[in-house]
Amino acid sequence: MLWLILLCIIKGVNGYDAFTDGVKEGIKLSVSIFPGMMAMILMINLLQHAEVFVLLSDFISPLIDFLPSEVLAMCFFRPVSGGASMALMRHILSLYGPDSLYGMMASVIQGSTDTTIYVIALYFSSVGIKKIKNAMWIGLFADLVGISVAIFLTVQFF
Amino acid sequence: MNKLWLCLCGFALIYGMVNHNIESLNQVLMNVGTDTLDFAIPIILTTCFFEGIMEMAKRCGVLNGLQRWLSPILLKVFPDLDSDDEALSYISANVVINMFGLGFAATPSGLKAMEHLQKKNKEKTTASRSMVTFLVLNTAGVTLISANIIAARTAEGSNFPTMYMPLAIVSTACASIAGLLLDRWWNYRRS
Repeated sequence: MLWLILLCIIKGVNGYDAFTDGVKEGIKLSVSIFPGMMAMILMINLLQHAEVFVLLSDFISPLIDFLPSEVLAMCFFRPVSGGASMALMRHILSLYGPDSLYGMMASVIQGSTDTTIYVIALYFSSVGIKKIKNAMWIGLFADLVGISVAIFLTVQFF
Repeated sequence: MNKLWLCLCGFALIYGMVNHNIESLNQVLMNVGTDTLDFAIPIILTTCFFEGIMEMAKRCGVLNGLQRWLSPILLKVFPDLDSDDEALSYISANVVINMFGLGFAATPSGLKAMEHLQKKNKEKTTASRSMVTFLVLNTAGVTLISANIIAARTAEGSNFPTMYMPLAIVSTACASIAGLLLDRWWNYRRS
């Protein structure tokens, strides 16, 4: 921030005008992303409260039985909602301890990818894209790779 | 997006009803307005603030500098863009901000980048190839430092709050590379 102000003074840029113009743009952007945001939150909340994630992790946990159910649930939440996976991570950290294997695993998973569904919904709705082609699948595939690598690495190196 | 949204919402409602969860689902429907507002207000405010900062950075030429620095790599990732494209400077800014784990601060530059990509897009309601690539890059999330995770680990009394970082960086790099490779193979093979 400070060096930006200094740069404005050095280059003789009208920093005040630039800042306020930017904020104006920001408000326009916000209005255009609000509907998409609401639709996404509705979907995520419905899925969460209908316990669809529980169903999913119950379905998969016999296949991956070396992970505790909290870590597994976090794997599902990570691409869907940053807030929910962050909350789960804190839960895992306090349950197993931050320096334990699972605490470490949760931290790495949290750092390994971003919330795919949120980003896709937000960015595409902001410019009015209806057909998203295969962006969702590629994004989820990248998440799968990231989370698998995260689990593999923590088991290997920790 | 339409089909996915309708299917997932419908599925959640039906599944919830079958499991006699109607009350908590009703709660969701009643509260979605305030939930969205609670979620959106901080984001909108930070977006406005960082949009202002970014406009300053742009007029001072910082964004162009970033673009010059990153464009050799980015041009390989986005073969449909030209080197003097304005979208490219916003993409560079977005990638750099994401690397430092400032998720909310990265959103404005990302949305700006989408805006400029949309200008070059021929079919306005269908995503262009560059858009898909950009989103893949973004969702895989090239994050080097995440203040949130370090803060949470410190709060839980970790002795090594930053120890997870090397592993997370390797994982996020793998995710990005895997995503970009799949995107390249899937969307660009015909040309």
